[in-house]
Amino acid sequence: MRVVRAVLGLLGAGAAGYGVLRLLRLPSEQVLAVLVWAFGGIVAHDGVLAPLVVGLGLAATALARWLRPSLVVLLVVLGPLTLVAVPVLGRFGARSDNPTLLDRPYLAGWLVVVGLAVAVAAVTALRARRSSSGDPVPGPPA
Amino acid sequence: MSERALRGVAARIDARIPRPESFTSGLRGPRTTARIGTWLAVTFTIAFVTGLYSHASQLATPPLTLPSGPSRLYQVTQGLHVAAGTASVPLLLVKLWSVFPRLFVRPPRAGRELVLNLLERVSIALLIGSAIFQLATGLANSAQWYPWSFDFIRAHYALAWVAIGSLALHVAVKLPVIRRVFTEPVDGPADGFDDGPRDGAAEPGHDGVPTRRTLLRATWVSAAVAVVVTTSVEIPGLRRLAVLAVRSGQGPQGVPINRSAVGADVAGLFDDPAWRLRVVGPVDTVELSLDDLRAMQQRSAVLPIACVEGWSASGEWGGVPVRDLVALVGGGPDDDVVVRSMQPRGAYRESRLPANFVRNPDSLLALTLAGEPLHRDHGFPCRLIAPARPGVLQTKWVREVEVVKA
Repeated sequence: MRVVRAVLGLLGAGAAGYGVLRLLRLPSEQVLAVLVWAFGGIVAHDGVLAPLVVGLGLAATALARWLRPSLVVLLVVLGPLTLVAVPVLGRFGARSDNPTLLDRPYLAGWLVVVGLAVAVAAVTALRARRSSSGDPVPGPPA
Repeated sequence: MSERALRGVAARIDARIPRPESFTSGLRGPRTTARIGTWLAVTFTIAFVTGLYSHASQLATPPLTLPSGPSRLYQVTQGLHVAAGTASVPLLLVKLWSVFPRLFVRPPRAGRELVLNLLERVSIALLIGSAIFQLATGLANSAQWYPWSFDFIRAHYALAWVAIGSLALHVAVKLPVIRRVFTEPVDGPADGFDDGPRDGAAEPGHDGVPTRRTLLRATWVSAAVAVVVTTSVEIPGLRRLAVLAVRSGQGPQGVPINRSAVGADVAGLFDDPAWRLRVVGPVDTVELSLDDLRAMQQRSAVLPIACVEGWSASGEWGGVPVRDLVALVGGGPDDDVVVRSMQPRGAYRESRLPANFVRNPDSLLALTLAGEPLHRDHGFPCRLIAPARPGVLQTKWVREVEVVKA
């Protein structure tokens, strides 16, 4: 395993070094812009997104246990999907001379996916509640 | 301020910063991290290899001869590129969540451990920074959104090497943990990083508490959903599910467009009745009118327009094989062809068709799409369309074809 690790590590360091050299061939103001984006990504994750999710996790501990697995699944599915959808939801790249670009009703599509995910999560949560209490559930909670 | 007071302040700040053991979720830990990390390694490798192929096929003279078939080759590789990048978003986010407490591990006091610790942190910063950069810029680019001041192609290419290299380095460092983890069951009473406390909880069936298996399954579902709703537009039957695709696949003559005649500044040029196609060769130079081209032997082929942005759409194109034009001016089977557009500016106003693509009879100077004269936004009066090539190289509104020695 030592050999595998050494070879993989050296190849990795070499490739990363080559990438850094390629980056440095750009004009310096572009290199700076790339660094702002790359480190801005780390700051946005570690400073904003991750604490937000930790906060949601803390808030969830106040909720009933049968509800929590469904909420975890809902967050894991809808959170990343919403981030992926930002460029199309905002339609930032739309051009008036090209109607074939960004030509779907994105908000409606996103709402349909959210609605379906919430419905599936609700059914799963209600089942978990039924099995945890042992009693049939009279109806959906208000 | 005295040294003692400074230490007091430092200690109070330190007490405010959470420690790894402040995070109590039992779902974090190497069993979660290694499983998601393995899939991330797969998606990043797919994106890297398909990205290299796309990069090579856009070079004027590729370092090696790329195949000119099957015609859907580039459509498949670039679809995979965008799908792998999209799937990486949930994988990366959940993986980062699973190791977030590690950010708060206090570095060793001094010596060799401190240096090694700092080196590892630098390599991880390279990995996370380049990974987030690649996914964010790639997704924005696929929706033709460029909210930055750098050259996307060169930056995305450079950081692809940083990302794949720092990923390999990271796997090399973590290989012992990865190996250990895969010999243990997914769910179990305890899990933890070697130098951290063992986490509790996360026992299967623990009265409604989410299990590690639940989290992992949710992550796989998340990746699958993200891919299906954004990229399945190319797969017949799934098109309706692609509610977040950058294009519906509709457009003039059934094919979407990337750059319109107005956008390319050829609005007053393409319908000039005096237009002639100039064909320049080693022996002869000829000028052909649209009627001359229509009088030549016609051929039709079903070929996709496959864009770097990941979308693609097939159409039935009709026109003159490029090799027939080459023969007309005395070119040979080993010659490349440079195709030039009427576009007054832009990086893609000319493209080079390598000899093996010229020899392919399906490489056409197309005059029709779906049996009609080309729509203005598809490149009227004629455009290049060749199999297994990125859409940006399928030059539209052609004015000149030049035979060049490879």
